[in-house]
Amino acid sequence: MFNTSIKKATTLAMAAGFAVAASFGAAWAEYPEKPITMVIPLGAGGSHDLNARVITSIIPTYLDQAMIVRLTPGAGGQKGTQEVANAPADGYTLLFTHNYIDMLQQHVETLPYDPGKDFVPVARINYAPIAVVVRGDSPYMTMADLVAASKANPGGVQLAHSGNWGALFVPAAQIMKALDISWNLVPFQGGGPALQALLAGDADVTMGFPSAIGGHVQAGTLRVLATAGAERIYDDVPTLAEVGVEGDVGFMHRVVLAPAGTPDDVLETLGAAFKSLEGDKTFNRMMGRLGENIDIIGTDEYEAMRVEQDGAYKELVKTLTSQ
Amino acid sequence: MLDQLAEGFAMAMRFDTFMMMSFGLFGGMLVGSLPGFTTLMAMAILLPISFFLEPIVGIPFLLGVYKGGIFGGSIPAILISMPGTGAAVATSRDGYKLTQQGKSRKALDMALFASVFGDTSSDIFTILMIFPIAYLVMQFGPPELFAVLLLSLVIIAATSGVSPLKSLVMMLLGLWLSFIGTDPLGGVERFTFGVFDLKSGIPLLPMLIGVFAIPEIATVVMRNEKVTQLAALMGERLSKAEFRRCFRTICRSTMIGTAIGIVPGLGQVVAAMMGYSAAKNASGHPETFGEGELEGVAAAEAANNAVNGPTMVPLLTLGIPGDNVTAILLGAFVAQGLRPGPQLFEEQGATVFAILVAMVFANLLFLVIGYLSIPFFSRLVTIKVSILIPVVIMFAFAGAYVFRSDSIDLLMLVVFGLVGIVARAAKFDVMPMVMGFILGPPMEYAFGQTVAMTNGEPFGFFFGERLGAVAILLAIPVIGLVLWRRTRTVAAR
Repeated sequence: MFNTSIKKATTLAMAAGFAVAASFGAAWAEYPEKPITMVIPLGAGGSHDLNARVITSIIPTYLDQAMIVRLTPGAGGQKGTQEVANAPADGYTLLFTHNYIDMLQQHVETLPYDPGKDFVPVARINYAPIAVVVRGDSPYMTMADLVAASKANPGGVQLAHSGNWGALFVPAAQIMKALDISWNLVPFQGGGPALQALLAGDADVTMGFPSAIGGHVQAGTLRVLATAGAERIYDDVPTLAEVGVEGDVGFMHRVVLAPAGTPDDVLETLGAAFKSLEGDKTFNRMMGRLGENIDIIGTDEYEAMRVEQDGAYKELVKTLTSQ
Repeated sequence: MLDQLAEGFAMAMRFDTFMMMSFGLFGGMLVGSLPGFTTLMAMAILLPISFFLEPIVGIPFLLGVYKGGIFGGSIPAILISMPGTGAAVATSRDGYKLTQQGKSRKALDMALFASVFGDTSSDIFTILMIFPIAYLVMQFGPPELFAVLLLSLVIIAATSGVSPLKSLVMMLLGLWLSFIGTDPLGGVERFTFGVFDLKSGIPLLPMLIGVFAIPEIATVVMRNEKVTQLAALMGERLSKAEFRRCFRTICRSTMIGTAIGIVPGLGQVVAAMMGYSAAKNASGHPETFGEGELEGVAAAEAANNAVNGPTMVPLLTLGIPGDNVTAILLGAFVAQGLRPGPQLFEEQGATVFAILVAMVFANLLFLVIGYLSIPFFSRLVTIKVSILIPVVIMFAFAGAYVFRSDSIDLLMLVVFGLVGIVARAAKFDVMPMVMGFILGPPMEYAFGQTVAMTNGEPFGFFFGERLGAVAILLAIPVIGLVLWRRTRTVAAR
């Protein structure tokens, strides 16, 4: 009887001791002490998935922890985004998304989260500049030809895109707004099918990222009329700014976000790890093969860009939906 | 082209290619056999491994995962009536009946042989006809896709079950269920009643498990007989005579599957259903279909695997992924520095052929791996029912959950389980409902695209540019009527 009580007491004391030690351990241990989950609110096989597979196979070198990709597609990206918005702000659940899901959707519909208040940027990994492309045998030799044809026949030119308010739709809408033209926007289930529709003659023009269209441009089956950005990507192709479309138009920023309230030191650790990718040889080689650039931007700088995007998209949606 | 093929053949003959391929096939089969884990997920997770392998090792490895996974999906479909993908629905129909009759080994063997035959033939056909196929792929746009999908739905409604009218009712129910959620074109919410969980629509997997597996479990439990085993034995292996009997069906399904693979966006679900319907229609004894007909398993499996060859064509010739699986393969290609596109054949012809040749060898290798694994899987049904049923229930719930890791899916599973039980009691076939649900969204999408493309002038658009689609649309009522009558005469007999 007595013996059992002593035994119980000792066990309890030991258990309490372990518990205390464990909690101290948690307090003292440096982030990250367990694998980090990176949620992608998009489907398998897309460019975010591919980029993430490369990132997560390299980043353990700098974080000493694994990073696990979890694909949570659905509701146009809102499902995965909401999941991270509701996750604890401890740096173990991150969101890998892009600017259109992040900043544009709030102006189109009511969201179950507030992107501005519920998230902080960790790092912008890279960006993909959009290109306006037509078939190699298209009558539109330059952007000016295309604009002239669109003005002569409003809605007569068909543009294939990858879904409403998506990465190909938004730049098309921005171009339409800036140049005061009107295209017939036909949705396809992804950039691949949209490109196939262009090649098959079911559409007159589409948008594409260099990584997806490069081979066709080289082979001459596609012709690029304009590209996003301040600098020319192809020597003989003007930028959107040169053809009269100014501003942050046509960039898909791939960005890692964390739930708001994530401690600063955790954000710093993560930010530093992502920044280190820039100098990593394997990372550079693999991203190069994917045809992606690497241009890492930290928390504050990207937050400023988000605010700017927020305003621009609000304006864009207002113009488009008021028609 | 012939010397490129020969060079590719030589490139594929490597020990490490075969090793990794076997590893992929076996792993894919295991993952595919677990309800809820999709082949797609397995490929996405294993993709980085291929980054660090040579192209001719890494890509066959992923192809192995893919092929193994497709067959893996038919294992629970046959053994416990739990199809993990839409492509396995038709297989489970006769497969599970065979299991109940104590012939699970035969069913699995037939699924394996038909899969391998369908896949291999379509791969070889693809290698020989790659450029004509590439041309044909381009002839199918949204209007044609809409017409073909509508035709498929009509065929399914008219041929499945005893009463085409009941089938039609169930199909319309399925179509309606597919409308729930965000409208894929306009982004408007439909029938969600403001519930966020319904915004992304009803998930497929809880529905599949709910309407197919739960009623079976309920039947076993409610019968409450002194059955100690689901099937007393796993039965004998498939005999040569049985294979020969189904050979015509396998060949027919292979042709159907290959043809469907050429139409971008149709895929394995349609192929399996069309193969099955055609076999039933051509059979002298259609009443045995759905009651444990080996030919039914053969027809579905040969057809859904025969899709594989042609679906690779847009990827290899244009660098355009037609679906998620080929999108992942595209990722593996580009990470290897192979840039798919029109010039891939000029620059890397031998490597492309090596990959195609490896696909053929993956099939043959899988024949061995599958054949050796089947006895191990089919032993499952000889477990005592008092143990098996709880395990199956656990798998049902776990499978419904892991698909999206969303607890609402558990509720969906229960609801669809009840739907399945009620439908069975009322003698309604749930298959047309599931097919309506799966094929509804792509059909609606294609319809919306077509409307956008016509730009307000449907008449000029269809008769000026889309005569092919018009022809298919006009044929639909005729085909539907003929099949409807046939089904009625068979039912009357």
